[in-house]
This record gives sequence, C-alpha cells and structure tokens, in this order.
Amino acid sequence: MTSYDVVWPRSPQGVQRQRQAPRLPDLGGRTIAFLWDYVFRGDELFPVLEKALAERFDGIQIIGYEEFGNLHGADEKERVGRLPDDLRSRGVDAVVSGMGC
Amino acid sequence: MAAESAGIPSVSIVCEGFEGQAAATARGHGYDDLPLAVTIGHVDAQSYDDMVANFVTDTVERVIAGLTSATEVASGESDQPSALEIVASGSIDEINRVFIERGWTDGHPVIPPTRDRVEAFLADSGHDPWKTVGVATSSGQDMTIWSIAVNAVMAGCLPEHLPVLIAIAEILADPGYGAEHSGNTTGADAQIIVSGPNTQSLGFNHGPGALREGTHANTAVARWLRLYQRNVLGFTADEHDKATFGNATRIVLAEDTECLREIGWDPLSAQLGAPAGEDTVTMARLNSGTIIGSVFGSTPGEIVAYLGNGIARTAAWDLTHVYGLGQDQFQPLLVLSPILARTFANAGWSKADVQAALFEHAQIPAITFERMIGEWSNLTAGRRRLAELAESGEVPPVYGESDDPNRLVPVATCPERFLIAVAGDPNRTNAYAFSNDGPHGWWTTRTVDHTPASDLVCSI
Repeated sequence: MTSYDVVWPRSPQGVQRQRQAPRLPDLGGRTIAFLWDYVFRGDELFPVLEKALAERFDGIQIIGYEEFGNLHGADEKERVGRLPDDLRSRGVDAVVSGMGC
Repeated sequence: MAAESAGIPSVSIVCEGFEGQAAATARGHGYDDLPLAVTIGHVDAQSYDDMVANFVTDTVERVIAGLTSATEVASGESDQPSALEIVASGSIDEINRVFIERGWTDGHPVIPPTRDRVEAFLADSGHDPWKTVGVATSSGQDMTIWSIAVNAVMAGCLPEHLPVLIAIAEILADPGYGAEHSGNTTGADAQIIVSGPNTQSLGFNHGPGALREGTHANTAVARWLRLYQRNVLGFTADEHDKATFGNATRIVLAEDTECLREIGWDPLSAQLGAPAGEDTVTMARLNSGTIIGSVFGSTPGEIVAYLGNGIARTAAWDLTHVYGLGQDQFQPLLVLSPILARTFANAGWSKADVQAALFEHAQIPAITFERMIGEWSNLTAGRRRLAELAESGEVPPVYGESDDPNRLVPVATCPERFLIAVAGDPNRTNAYAFSNDGPHGWWTTRTVDHTPASDLVCSI
C-alpha cells in the first residue's frame, strides 16, 4: 500500500506577537471610552453600564460611543485606523467595546 | 485591538458563544488573549428587564475585571509546524482520517499534499513559493503561494488553475473585500464568478447546470476556496466560523463569454471596473438566492417586471446594507440565462437599460423595508424611518418622496447597484437573483494573470 508523507495545510503566522496594554489599578477618576458597532442593543446597554460605573467609581468620566461613530459601518477601516490617535487625543485611559454577538 | 496597540487597556462585550471567535480574532492580530465581558445568553432574545438584570449582576463585573486585572497569557513559544514539515504519514485512508480529525478538510476526502505533489503543482508557474499575497486578517497567517498550492493539491485543482487561485487569494487579502467577516452568524458564502476568453479552455462550464457540482474546474476551484478559508483564514467552527447555518460550497459561476460578445454586453467584472476582454475573477459573499422560473415573454417589457420582482423577493434583512450595517452597499446580482439576455439585447437594450428598468421594478413598500432593517432584525440602530434618512441625506431622495408607509421604494440606491451576469442553459428562460452581504464580503474583482512569474529567474 502506498504511503504518503504530507505537509501542513496551514501557514505560519505573519503577524508580530503583541503584549496587551497594562491594566489600570482602579477606574476612579479615569476616562473611559465606549465604542459601539451599532448593533445588538448597545444603545440600551451602554447607558446601563455608564450608570453602574458612575455608582462604583468616583470621578469616572465616560466618553459615549456617539463621539466615535459606528465602528462597523461602511467606513469601518478608516474609523478604526484613526482610533489610536483619536483615543490618545481625548485622554482616554481605557476602552469598553461592544457588541460582539 | 486598536486601543491595545495604543497602550490603552480594553475589554470587549460579547454575547455568550462568541468567546472562541473573539480569542481567535485576537490571535490573528498577534494577541494571545484579550479580556472579554461575556453576556448571559444572546441579548436579542431577552426582554429589556431580563437583559439589564443579567448585565448588571454579571457582565458589569467582567467589564471592570477586564480593565483592572491582567489576563494570564500563554507562553510565547509556538508549537506550529514549519511549512515543509511532514505532519502525517500513512495510507490515503490514514491521511484522510488525520485531516478530518484535525479539521483540515471540508469533510470530503482530499488528495494527500505531499511535498513532491505541491512542488510539481508549482513547477511551471515561476512563482517563489514563499512569496506572500498578504496576511489573513482573521488568522494572522501568511497567505503564501505555497499554502495556496498545498490546498489546491488537496482540492484536486490543476496547475493551470493557479492564476485563478492567486487572483482569489488577492481578493481575500484586499481590505475592501472584508474576508474577516466570512464567519458572521447569518452565514453568507462566497460566490466566485469567472469571466473572459480563457474560461472555457480552463475547463469552466457556463452552460446547463452552471451552479451545480459536476464540472471539474468549477467544483475544484470552489472547493479550494473552502479549504483555504478553513486552513489559512481560520474559518472553522472552533475558530472564526459562527455561521448559524451556512451554505454548501458555492460552485464557481462562469459567465457565457461568447453570448456576451455576440450581444455586445460587457461581463460582470467590467461593471465593477475591470477591463473588458480580460480573464477576471469577481467575488462577493451572497446571502439568499431566488430562482425566477419560467420567465414568459418575448420583449423586455414583458419580462423585466418579473425579474425585478425576483430581486425584490430576495432582498430582506440584508437591506441593512443600504443603510445600517453597510452604507449604499446592497448590490444584488441577477444571473440571466443567455436566452433572456438576448431578449433584451435583440430589442436594443444595453445592460444599463436593464439596470434602469430593474431599479423601477425591484421595489417594496417602505414599511416592509423599515421593518426588515429595524423592527424585525434590530440591525439598524434607532429604527429611523426612510423619509427621515432621506431628509438627512443618509439615503437618496427616492426613499423620501412621501411619508406614505405603503409607497414603493427601490431595494438598491441606484440602477448601477444592480449587477448582471449571463450564464446557464442557453435555451431555457430562467434567472437567478442573489442578495449580497454588503461590506462583509464586498464585490471585488481581479484580473487573472496567466503569465509565468519571474520570481525564480536568476538576474545578474
């Protein structure tokens, strides 16, 4: 019976491994940005999250998803591409994104 | 990932069941793990009160933890084999068993991709096997010529198919196509469409059974795409594929180039900007399809209303690509059998004339349109009315000509959005309408370059 030695059908990783950003010790006094893809009830849940965080952390500032627009729309790549600069220029300390469903 | 790359900690809210895809997406961008705040169940199936209660008692804590607690990261060592490493040895039955177990096949038996076979597949191409077409944004894997050839051998493709496969890979690597969306839950699948003078000599069938398995080139090239999406782009159920149902592999559709030449119409790819007269590959992810059967009539006026109606019946939740998930990106495809195309052409109608007529006939009540994208699917935030969107310039004025909810509105924004291909049994009066998935596999076309590459030619 013929024997076959076969190679891997996948391919090596072409992206550099990344380290996640350092986490925050506390959310008090921090600026948190909400990012939304405009689906799956984010318009109902982000206000709930904002209220819950405000009750827990003194001085927390929220920048609403409206400030960044729909990150899953026709201009998704452009908006996401300029996001790092956009976040830095607004003094954002942390980001909550949604909704992946 | 954009935030993390800027040094800003992030957490992503995902519904239960999306953890695997989220982790795979992070890996594709080089992150071993990123924090998630998983909701209990799917938010769309919960009452407002239940959803909020679940969110407050559970998800909020996960959000806070994701921003304040470092995630345990696996060691940095990769256990992946190299491209030339032998990953299995044995009989054809044993090889196929291994490939099924490891998720490397579409469920059908494959031709064992031995190094000799892959090298023979590439031998006359002149391509450097290690040249990359791009990096798969979903998996982060290099899209090398070698990986294209390995999967081509598995699918049973012929070496002369390689230029077509490379053109398809280029489309997958094109950010405008949006290959990373290929596992979305609604489960559209890619349709490859080939046009041009050499499609017949490459063995593609454009005639009877144009979309049915049975012709080697149409079947094998389409199968290659499925295998490549699994193995190199990572669209398997335990990685990126979240299709609720999905479809069987869509067989390559070849246009009837001879009919197009005779009636003086350009191929589909020319509608998308490719030069007419060249071999091209066009691709988009398609949702629903509607067969428009037994089209009766001998004049354009007699047949176009039924064809437009067929497109209208195909358009549904995906109208959110007119406004919502997409923006002016609902671009349906009408495949006409040659006899129907000739009925238009014999009466002096150009493709543009047909498009203009389809725009007039592919219409639905405004209230149905609004329900499809809003009330019934919740895919367009805010449930805004078409008249309001027209007033603000977010959709064309044709959607806001009155506030009568029963007024008819077009399913696409302008005549040019109606794409037309010609294929199928030349003597049958049937057509096929397809809806597209907007930016989640956007219409993209490439010219097929049959010229042998000069990558391996020595230069002094």
